[in-house]
Amino acid sequence: MSVQDTLTRWRYRYVPDHVLGELLSKNWIDNVIPFFMLVGSIAVFGSIVPGFFEPFTLSDSTRQLAEVGFVAMGMAIVMLAGGIDLSVGSVFAIGNFLTLALINLLGWPVFVTLPVVLAACAAIGLVNGLLIGFLRLRAFLTTLVTLIIFRSAADLLVLTYGTRLATGGASSPLWDYLAYGDVYGMPVSCLVVLVVAIILHVMLTRSRFGWHLLAVGGSRRSAHNAGIKVRRTVCLTYVLSSTLTGLGSFFYAARIGSAASDAGLGMEVLVLTAVVLGGNSLGGGRGSVAKALMGTVIVLTLTNSLISLGLQSGASTLVLAVALLIGVAIDVKWLKNRHKVISSVYVSPAYFSMPTCPPTDPDSGSPYAQNDRLKDVELIGLGELDGPEDVIFDRDDNLYTGSRHGDVIRFLAPDYKKRELFAHIGGQTLGFAFDRNDHLNVCVGGMGLYKVLPDGEVVRQTDETNRSLWSIIDDSRMRLADDLDIAPDGRIFFSEATIRYDIAEWATDSVETRGNGRIVCYDPRSGKTRTVLQNLVFPNGVCIANDGQSFFFAETWAARISRYWFDGPRKGKLEVVIPDLPGLPDNINRASDGTYWCALMGMRAPVVDMALRMPGFRRRMAMRVAHDEWMYPNINAGCIIRFDDNGTVLESYWDAGGVNHPQTTSMREHKGWLYIGGVHNNRIGRLRLPDADPNWTSNDSYWGSRK
Amino acid sequence: MMKTLRGWWDAFTGAGEHAVTVPPMDGPLLPNTLLEGAERLAAIDKPDSLCVHGGRLLASSGTQVLAFDAGGGAPRSVGHHAHAVTALASDGQSLAVALADGTIEWIDAAGVPTRLALPSEAGAHSIMALLVEGDRLLVANGSAQIVASDWKRDLMQKGSTGSLWQFQRGGEVRRLAKDLAFPYGLARLADGRLACSESWRHRIVEIGEGGRARPLLADLPAYPSRLSPASGGGFWLAAFAPRTQMVEFMLREDAARRHMIETIDPDYWMAPRHASGRSFREPLQGGGIKHLGILKPWAPSQSYGLVARLDAAMQPLASYHSRADGTIHGVTSCVEFGGRIHAASKGAECLVACEPDQVGEAA
Repeated sequence: MSVQDTLTRWRYRYVPDHVLGELLSKNWIDNVIPFFMLVGSIAVFGSIVPGFFEPFTLSDSTRQLAEVGFVAMGMAIVMLAGGIDLSVGSVFAIGNFLTLALINLLGWPVFVTLPVVLAACAAIGLVNGLLIGFLRLRAFLTTLVTLIIFRSAADLLVLTYGTRLATGGASSPLWDYLAYGDVYGMPVSCLVVLVVAIILHVMLTRSRFGWHLLAVGGSRRSAHNAGIKVRRTVCLTYVLSSTLTGLGSFFYAARIGSAASDAGLGMEVLVLTAVVLGGNSLGGGRGSVAKALMGTVIVLTLTNSLISLGLQSGASTLVLAVALLIGVAIDVKWLKNRHKVISSVYVSPAYFSMPTCPPTDPDSGSPYAQNDRLKDVELIGLGELDGPEDVIFDRDDNLYTGSRHGDVIRFLAPDYKKRELFAHIGGQTLGFAFDRNDHLNVCVGGMGLYKVLPDGEVVRQTDETNRSLWSIIDDSRMRLADDLDIAPDGRIFFSEATIRYDIAEWATDSVETRGNGRIVCYDPRSGKTRTVLQNLVFPNGVCIANDGQSFFFAETWAARISRYWFDGPRKGKLEVVIPDLPGLPDNINRASDGTYWCALMGMRAPVVDMALRMPGFRRRMAMRVAHDEWMYPNINAGCIIRFDDNGTVLESYWDAGGVNHPQTTSMREHKGWLYIGGVHNNRIGRLRLPDADPNWTSNDSYWGSRK
Repeated sequence: MMKTLRGWWDAFTGAGEHAVTVPPMDGPLLPNTLLEGAERLAAIDKPDSLCVHGGRLLASSGTQVLAFDAGGGAPRSVGHHAHAVTALASDGQSLAVALADGTIEWIDAAGVPTRLALPSEAGAHSIMALLVEGDRLLVANGSAQIVASDWKRDLMQKGSTGSLWQFQRGGEVRRLAKDLAFPYGLARLADGRLACSESWRHRIVEIGEGGRARPLLADLPAYPSRLSPASGGGFWLAAFAPRTQMVEFMLREDAARRHMIETIDPDYWMAPRHASGRSFREPLQGGGIKHLGILKPWAPSQSYGLVARLDAAMQPLASYHSRADGTIHGVTSCVEFGGRIHAASKGAECLVACEPDQVGEAA
């Protein structure tokens, strides 16, 4: 192994490239950009603005933050449902006037004033909501008009009553507390904004209304088709927005105490910038309350700092506008390109050094020497099947197989001409095994471990295991349960080929050839599921050895077969028994003479073996070359091998022409015949085994003779 | 400076020179199954070059030259050589036969052979095409670095050391052009210009004064091989393998390509080939995975069969195809004979013939 090779191996062992794609496919990844902007802006302005972290400045800016924060959350809710609310500034002005008028002019107590102000603002929001939600006017124009109307109304009111408001000055301790009070050093308004934010967050992510709202924002038409009351939902967002604005203006009134006509002037742009910079999508459907608050902090830090730095007020508006532009650009580009970025970085190949490939030439004398023994198989269900990955027999000799459509199909003995649907499960049915009670246990791609009772009833056994500590993608769910076998005590050991890909793209995992798979044990006695072995390279076939204390399992892309002892004196030991297969092993099953069958579902190609030592090459291939053109080991050719307990390969069965069984993923010996399945094939083959025990069945081998 | 930076940027993003895009088979080159459905005249061991001479169709087969009569019937051997025959050509009067050792046997109308040899500047011997014009013989030497049977190595090494030579009866030899990327076919345009198919650059060029190559037909979706004149003006072009993204990518991955060339048998390279599916050691591409026992015709393939009808200005008019699911691949030569177009398939090791008017109707 060259130095270069060693370096590559270490580089790919210790740098977890695959994490990037997994992180990017997380939903919360949208928060990362605004979060770093937030930290960045505070760091930058905190260091250049004098007195940024002084208690007084901090207290003042957090109070201002709270007031704008309410409005921003309201705006975010409207935008999440796909709308926009430009009238917030005017509503803010009216709320401010109303609060001061009720407190100062009429001398109403605070606890009466607050609900009245909120109700009044909600009513204003209802106007927007009715116009936009029910009359289906354009949100932008409608709220632009209401912005002007309510602004004029507020100006008129201030003009008429302004002087009387200024002279008034009723004061109560509660009113002052709301304005200047602290709770453990935190301004009251700030505390309230946090509480409201948590409530809104729970509402958006956990409640029916929140889900409806996000659905409407994501796709109005689909939401309507799904039976969501789109108009009502849209209307309610405007009511919520105005109510929250009212709450903000209430605290503003308490703090400033002035009904000047510039209250809330230009607020719509400030808030819009905050919400978009925070990462809420203008198109709706994507965003959160937390993002709105993060955006508010960024924008206020920016504007306040610019003012303290002595920039003219026009200039700070300019900066705000530029920030909005940047926010919108990022929003559009990110939304459009996110899935492209994920798809180009998700596939992350690892280094894997294949052992030397044993010879397969017809005259090589090796146990793998090519022959034509599978040429004359009899065919079952030709053209009626789509993807019989595994085949199995019950005690009455009926044949069961799976399909890509998620069925369990039964062919009736003795001639296997009559086909019937035994059960429909839904996910692609892969490995099968009968247990002691003649229940058919089955691994279902994308679903987990199921069992089918003799009457056809489908029972879920397990679909999740313990989540591993540092996994980024949720690996507790079964993504690709593949093959299983059952220990004498009833424990079911099954393989999950990969936790990074679904059944439809299982072959893509070969480009990675990383230990993405695992073997899981389900114990029906306790109902517990736990992961037994991890970081396996596409673990596939599992077969309990004849000793009843260990199982063989195949690691497909690694072209090797290993044995693991789960019981007995060697418990916990793992041993590679065949390290260098010429092809990619799939299912393993018992043979009648105490040996084991294994299907090689594809053969190794030298160029692919070479590429496995060049992860960078494969990564660039995955990024640049179209998916259909990627290079794979040759899974159009395969064979069946037989090996013994020591891992000695005894013989092989080939279909050199590749006509009937271009790919073999499984085989099952039953009463002197060998039955062959293939996950991409449309037939089951059967071959007479002249030297096999004509009475041997795997059911007897596992559970003893019934009669 | 800017060029270097641009090169790095392109290498990083896979743009410009590093893009692996391949032109689609479209327009006159829209795929069909006409070549696959053509009549198989005879199985030939290692067929390669075809030409019409003395009212018979001659086909090279290893070290032999076989002759087919217009009326059909079994082929007869009309020549046996010490080395493999790499190219045949005739102008109706005299016949030229190029051999793998770099010699050319030029037999005049009276049947008197003359032996010619490429000068030593030509490098290794890989005479891919000949053109006989009375007392003049034009010779295309594919590469100065490899012999003809090792063509794949030259392609994957991005070879461009091919040359064109002109022999005058009487002995004068002159080099017409050099640094060509595997000249594989020769043709004379109606106005007297010389055209040559430059296979590794997927184009047909005219060779001007001083050996300057100017493209006549560029960006072919396949690797072109030999050219032959068509009745009624224009030409026939054979192409033996498709361009694929994966091979284009391989050509841009220097480390992997070098490693592949050094350590792996050429039959199992990720490279164009004359036939696919002969061994499971050939790499498989995703779209080529058989589903329900079927290989899709549009699957990515490393071999292909294409015969294209070109007009007098070398622009394509129509085409005959054998696609990924077919076998008439590795078509290196095609000629018109007895009113039909005959093609030699290295992939299926046979000679096929189809009616030229079929594509006229299809197009």
